[in-house]
Amino acid sequence: MTTPRLGHPDLGFGLGLRTVHFDYILENEPAVDWFEIISENFMDSRGRPRHILDEIAARYPVVMHGVSLSIGSTDPLDRDYLRKLKKLSSAIGAQWVSDHLCWTGVASLNSHDLLPMLLTEQTLQHVAERVDEVQGVMERPFVFENPSTYAGFTGSTMSEWEFLNRLTEKTGCGLLLDVNNVYVSSVNHDYEPEDYLDEIAGDRVVQIHLAGHTDCETHIVDTHDRPVIDRVWELYRRTIERIGPVSTLLEWDAAIPPFPELHAEVLKAKSILAQDDEADEARRQLVETASPTSGGTAGEPVNPHPLHHSAALVD
Amino acid sequence: MNPPPSSERKGISDLERVQRWMLSVISHPDGIDEGVEAGEARRWLDAGAGKLESVVTRSRQLSASERLAVYGNAYYARLLDCLGEVFPVLLRTLGEETFQGFAFSFLQSYPSRSYTLNELGRHFPAFLRETRPEAGDEEAGKWAEFPIDLAELEWAIYEVFDGPGLEGVGATEMPDFSAIPQDEWLSLRFRVAPSLRLLKFSWPVNAHYTAVRASSEGIDLPFPVQSSSWLALSRRDFIVRRYPLDEAQYELLQQFSLGSSLGDALEFLLEGELISPETLERELPRWFHEWASERCLFESIGWPEEMAAKIN
Repeated sequence: MTTPRLGHPDLGFGLGLRTVHFDYILENEPAVDWFEIISENFMDSRGRPRHILDEIAARYPVVMHGVSLSIGSTDPLDRDYLRKLKKLSSAIGAQWVSDHLCWTGVASLNSHDLLPMLLTEQTLQHVAERVDEVQGVMERPFVFENPSTYAGFTGSTMSEWEFLNRLTEKTGCGLLLDVNNVYVSSVNHDYEPEDYLDEIAGDRVVQIHLAGHTDCETHIVDTHDRPVIDRVWELYRRTIERIGPVSTLLEWDAAIPPFPELHAEVLKAKSILAQDDEADEARRQLVETASPTSGGTAGEPVNPHPLHHSAALVD
Repeated sequence: MNPPPSSERKGISDLERVQRWMLSVISHPDGIDEGVEAGEARRWLDAGAGKLESVVTRSRQLSASERLAVYGNAYYARLLDCLGEVFPVLLRTLGEETFQGFAFSFLQSYPSRSYTLNELGRHFPAFLRETRPEAGDEEAGKWAEFPIDLAELEWAIYEVFDGPGLEGVGATEMPDFSAIPQDEWLSLRFRVAPSLRLLKFSWPVNAHYTAVRASSEGIDLPFPVQSSSWLALSRRDFIVRRYPLDEAQYELLQQFSLGSSLGDALEFLLEGELISPETLERELPRWFHEWASERCLFESIGWPEEMAAKIN
């Protein structure tokens, strides 16, 4: 019998920590429940990013979210990377550490993208062995997120949710359920998002991600550059009704708005979870006034969200 | 899966074959359709000539090629965007088209091999140097040093920003030279700050960097007149600081960073005729005063035995 959510608490409603908000957060100490960092933006830092992170970790719970573990790659795991991940996690007291079910490169090359998996029994065994290795180094269960994907393989023999459910059964890892990614992938792969959300192992979900995307009409791209659409909010509500309250985080990585605007967006999730009619009405009004009814459409080439932090401060 | 019939590779799993194939396809400089036909992709899977949908599924709306193009377009867009953020002044100086042309070629020669995008630009200045116009074209060759110098400056700034620094360590106290006998102060040694970078350029790129940053987007700045320049970079309060130097100052700090004593460093300047004895005697106190007041050039100053004790 495994402990639900790996024993992790419901941290409430968090935001991704982004460089442009560093000063605002330190000066105003906004009432955000917790922050999530991109691990790679801080694990080698010996300058301002790390200094700011230490300040924020002293005031807020922090979760680490990586983009470079490449758990699905056939290259050997990068032990040096894992050691740095563990060191940072210990130093800032990270609540948990997550990355994606994906591969980012092979043959020592890195695409810096979250590339789709060939979902087979052979791959499941391969990934499970690597998850065991990661968890051995980290000395704690790791958490894996479902990515947005834009292509699939004819050789795949199982769905992504089956793969993730079996992976968590085999390894004891946790799941980071990105509801927006489920929606994006469901459109791109022609399935119903409810099928995914109703089947995913709810007791293994440690965290939920929400984000905005761009509708390119023929497909959807996970751009993290705009508000969450109504349909994703509906899926989020449905998920919470099924699996119970879970630490929820809003991601926003491009065209990042001022902090108060971002904070207001994640607070919509709070109102969605409120059970009384008054809160429900407030949520409905918020959604009607502030949220588009569908994803923004693409006016120019659209690419998945960027994965790095911005430039240096110079005199 | 369609492994290549004539070159089945023993010990390679389907998963590895698919990954090597896909990465070669989405990173092909001429796009997906060229990528699937290229030799590198066909080493791993025979999915060219209309067989792509035997490997990658199509959706109701997109063909397999169009689906892979989402990844292919993102591959270069992301990396070009990253390089533009690391080299923003070079980007503005060259213009987007020229900069991206250099950057696109660079990514063919130096694809990322690191887990972090922070390393992506490390070899960009060297790449510009490797591919500069032939020495035979004297005018172009001279001009070609300018973007190389600028790229070296911007990469150094990027490294200093997130590298080790003296924040939290406290300011370095400068000794009272007047209270020290001359034969003793000549043996002083200076441990430079970990953030210190000493740079010399064949163009005045630091002044150009300042001018570009102070100007609005879209404003064309006059091309600078060629002249050698020297610069110290360091960091205080997590902000990168730039200190223009002359050649003698640069060489003196360089000698300190190599571990030379003050006496040996001064001798180096005088023997190289980088400065006259009179000027050196007049200027040296002022240099030290200015450098010490910046509180980010020296980690510690002392005699050899004191420095050793600090290390131990």
